Amino acid sequence: MDFRAGDSWGMLACLCTVLWHLPAVPALNRTGDPGPGPSIQKTYDLTRYLEHQLRSLAGTYLNYLGPPFNEPDFNPPRLGAETLPRATVNLEVWRSLNDKLRLTQNYEAYSHLLCHLRGLNRQAAAAELRRSLAHFCTSVQGLLGSIAGVMAALGYPLPQPLPGTEPTWAPGPAHSDFLQKMDDFWLLKELQTWLWRSAKDFNRLKKKIQPPAAAVTLHLEAHGF
Amino acid sequence: MALFAVVQAAFLLTLLSFRTYQSEVLSEPLPWTPESLEVSINSAQQCLYLQWRVHNLTHHQELKMVFQIEISRIETSNVIWVENYSIPVTWNQVLHWSWESKLPLECVTHFVRIRSLVADASIPEPRFWSNWSSWEEVDAQKSLGQDPLFVFPKDKLVEEGSNVTICYVSRSPESNISCAMEDVPIHGKRLSPNVSVFILNDVRFIRETGTNIYCLNPSNMSGIILYVSKVLEEPKDFSCETQDLKSLNCTWDPGHDTTLRHQSSQRYTLFESFSGKTKLCEHKKWCHWQVAPDSQETYNLTLTAENQLRRRSVSILFNLTHRVHPMKPFNVFLKSISATNATMTWKVHPVGNYSTLLCQVALHGEGKVIQQHNVSVKVKSQYFLSELEPVTEYVTRVRCAAANHFWKWSEWIGQTFTTLEAAPSEAPDVWRNVKSVLGSHIVTLFWRPLSKSHAHGKILFYNVVIENLDKPSSVKLLSIPAPANGTELTLDQCSYQIHVTANNSVGTSPASIIVISRDPGNKNVEEGRIQGTEDGFSLSWKPQSGDVIGYVVDWYPQDPRCQLQWKNLDPNTTSTVIRSDAFRPGIRYNFRIYEISTERIAYLLEKKTGYAQELAPSENPQVAVSNLTSHSFSLSWKDYSTDSQSSFIQGYHVYLKPKEEQCHPGFEKVVLSDDSVCCQYKIDNPEQKTFVVENLQPESFYEFLVTPYTSVGEGPHDAFTKVTIPDEYSHVLIRIILPMIFCLLLLMVLCYLTSQWMKEKCYPDIPDPYKSSVLSLIKYKENHHPTIMNVNDCVPDAIEVVNKLEGSKIQFLGARKSLTEMEFTKPAYLYLLPTENYSGPGPCICFENFTYNQAASDSGSCGHVPVLLKTPPSQLALLTSPENLLKTLEQNYVNSSGGSPAGETSLNYVSQLASHMSGDKDSLPTNPPGPALCSEYRTQMAVSLGLASPSPSENSSLSSVTLLDQGEPRR
Repeated sequence: MDFRAGDSWGMLACLCTVLWHLPAVPALNRTGDPGPGPSIQKTYDLTRYLEHQLRSLAGTYLNYLGPPFNEPDFNPPRLGAETLPRATVNLEVWRSLNDKLRLTQNYEAYSHLLCHLRGLNRQAAAAELRRSLAHFCTSVQGLLGSIAGVMAALGYPLPQPLPGTEPTWAPGPAHSDFLQKMDDFWLLKELQTWLWRSAKDFNRLKKKIQPPAAAVTLHLEAHGF
Repeated sequence: MALFAVVQAAFLLTLLSFRTYQSEVLSEPLPWTPESLEVSINSAQQCLYLQWRVHNLTHHQELKMVFQIEISRIETSNVIWVENYSIPVTWNQVLHWSWESKLPLECVTHFVRIRSLVADASIPEPRFWSNWSSWEEVDAQKSLGQDPLFVFPKDKLVEEGSNVTICYVSRSPESNISCAMEDVPIHGKRLSPNVSVFILNDVRFIRETGTNIYCLNPSNMSGIILYVSKVLEEPKDFSCETQDLKSLNCTWDPGHDTTLRHQSSQRYTLFESFSGKTKLCEHKKWCHWQVAPDSQETYNLTLTAENQLRRRSVSILFNLTHRVHPMKPFNVFLKSISATNATMTWKVHPVGNYSTLLCQVALHGEGKVIQQHNVSVKVKSQYFLSELEPVTEYVTRVRCAAANHFWKWSEWIGQTFTTLEAAPSEAPDVWRNVKSVLGSHIVTLFWRPLSKSHAHGKILFYNVVIENLDKPSSVKLLSIPAPANGTELTLDQCSYQIHVTANNSVGTSPASIIVISRDPGNKNVEEGRIQGTEDGFSLSWKPQSGDVIGYVVDWYPQDPRCQLQWKNLDPNTTSTVIRSDAFRPGIRYNFRIYEISTERIAYLLEKKTGYAQELAPSENPQVAVSNLTSHSFSLSWKDYSTDSQSSFIQGYHVYLKPKEEQCHPGFEKVVLSDDSVCCQYKIDNPEQKTFVVENLQPESFYEFLVTPYTSVGEGPHDAFTKVTIPDEYSHVLIRIILPMIFCLLLLMVLCYLTSQWMKEKCYPDIPDPYKSSVLSLIKYKENHHPTIMNVNDCVPDAIEVVNKLEGSKIQFLGARKSLTEMEFTKPAYLYLLPTENYSGPGPCICFENFTYNQAASDSGSCGHVPVLLKTPPSQLALLTSPENLLKTLEQNYVNSSGGSPAGETSLNYVSQLASHMSGDKDSLPTNPPGPALCSEYRTQMAVSLGLASPSPSENSSLSSVTLLDQGEPRR
């Protein structure tokens, strides 16, 4: 065996990392109440799963819409789609959000997005696509429940929908079918951005709730369609 | 277009002149002028809607009028459409007219004006056009929003193959707007700085979500969906039928589906003209029509397919009772199943009052239809199935149709059943093979298993009844369990009749009879040869006696493991072709032809042997070489069997590779397949299996090969065998050389024996003084030390220290333990040469001769030579003490890592005779030896102090010296 100086430092670092993570090992944590940590982790995992699921679904759906919506570099101006909650936010603003606000925004966003997704499902003619959309809607419903669980664990109340602002999906052509397709495109795009943002939100929250266990930061990337 | 423009110009000129004329003739305007013209747009349909009134009409007055409508585009002078619209007009009637524009109305401004002409017969001529109404401007762009870019028409639905005109309208005159259909750029014609028009010809269906057409500039994007529908087809194969005369089931092939997202789908409607009823069908391929209870018999049904663009219809006229397609029968059962019969029962669903159905019963066996019968059925029916085979699985099926007006069979419904067993119907086909051994007949019986159609069940055993014809009362029964297909009997020289029957669980088959005669028959039948063909072996024979009941040809391959096969032939047959898939090329088959007498005795007529296809021999015989002489040798291959080869052996070729140009007599030169030249000798007799090769050259080698040849070729030309021919004179030479060798050996023995004598004579040994006879005389006279030379006169000039160890063999290397076990109870020899007060009687005499070199010492590996330690006196005591010496030796052993003993490289003279004592282990002196011991005469030789080491190196010796020179022992 040939141990070089670099290897020794690496082993030392590895040992330190292991010691650092020891409190995070469940078997070593003898505390009775696990706290909100596991539910935050589950919510984070669910966002990552939904990201993966959406990547496949969006590909199928945008092909169903046809070019230019399924082109990888299609980046149209945001026509219509005004009712969709925007996931993009200034970094400084995002950093300044507190946990409650962060979770509330997530909850509200997915409530709106789920409603629009159901409308998408109603319009789809292809049976296979309808099945995929229905499955995805169920998953988003699960994410909403999971976020609600985290908020409850942290003692935050669920946001109450203001009367008259409850998201609804109006069937029929409110505007041209091209704009409707554009709305579908933006819905999927916003969903993807929201899932990406949520993953970051819950990772941040996870680190905050479990500071010793959150030494590993995850590098998240937004993938284009 | 040019022609159109010319015609248009001419028309306008005419109109203008006419108006001038009119204005001149009628100074007053006509009373029935179109007024209140209103123009509106239907964007979805790209239509202009006009509505107007005609004033000045009195009550109940109706005038037939013609309205001429002009439509201009962009500017009033650009008239694109002129149409005369004739309609009777009543008082206060609002008139409507619409026009569909190919160019989307939002693209450009349109202008519309109208005038009228009374064309009613009640109004006397001449008739004149009224004045034009003022131009009504239709500008759809005014109602557009504030978006910077628009594309029209929105969400238009067209059929495949249509030509579509689209346009974009930009709020600012930009030139960098690009448009595309799906992902293909399209290029149009600029109508104005803000408007461009694109014409898409022969558009095709792409997907149900429509074709995406969009225009964009760097900051804006707008698009439309063009829904292209497939052309609605006329329904094909439209047909209606009833199962129960209560409802009709109509089916058709709809063709292409024209469904699009956000567009209403194609729909189908049934209309019955006699009853006037209509039904909207829920499905695209079939529809139910409820039959009216009023016993309507004739129906005229029209199926209409319709979508937003097209409508297609197809009609059929039929009588209801002619379209009866009954449901499949039910409750199909089989009862009273025997070995050959069964009864099938079934029920049918009633069809209104026309309950007589025609049913078809089909019996399937082994996948084929065996029987088919038609039965007329009311409600319940049965059919008796006969002529069935025992123990056979059958499938019986039934289907029905209307008996009076056949339309369609119902679906089949079936049932599987198996008939029962019956006694075997045929005697087993039996044959025998008889061998006469030691006055008895060994009869091997063979029989073929009965076919399924004859066995009528599972054969359980075969009964063999042996009846001695010479002793009628002697009957023996053997029961042989299936599936045996033969047995062996040992019979005496009597005649026997053998009955063989097959038995299943129901009964016994007829018996197959064979008679074994006491006379074995004609044994002197010669075997003939036949040649098989692709069709088999063709055999023919001459009948010997006219009274035969048949012939049997049996055959078996040369391989004894294969079983005898046989074929039964009619008595009138004298030839046959034996075919079998079992025939293999290269295998010899033996055929025997028997005639069967009326007494059922088989007589051998002929024997044949042959191959289905002869193959060239694949192996050569194993040849033994014998009788090897200087001129010839013999070849033998007697173990080679000619009968078990892949073809008839016709002889052998002996190949000999020639040493010279010419072949030996009897051989002829041939060229082998590998282009080598060989001498070939041909042996025509296949049974000649020896050959003598003669006229060979002695003292050379030959290569030969023996290969069989047949009608289809010879054996492989593989490895030739080499034979070395001995020398002609070798036996003579052996006779000479052996005695010479013997003599030489004898001479050598003699020489050895006489060598001692020669030695004595030529170079005698130096006499040993100790063995001298003089000594014996002196011994008797005085008990004096046996010294010949008195050395008292010697002047000592050197000290010899002789440290004589045990056996003087200082085997340090690998003998450490023996060293440690040595006893050094006495000091080593330490003799100081005589000093002044020395008065010892026998001083030690040493010669030191420095002329001897190291090489001499090395060559004399005499480990037994006493080591001479040249150490300072101060250290001698240490060394001579046993412990110290042992320690020193051990240290030397360890430190020198090669067992180099302590010693010096200086050379000392040591007598050879000293070794005589020291070499003798057993004579290790316990007392210090007397000086006389050292005064023995010794042959001079050089001895190194390091001799005890088997491989002393210079370094190790040096290290030893250094150790010893340290002056103090290590502890």
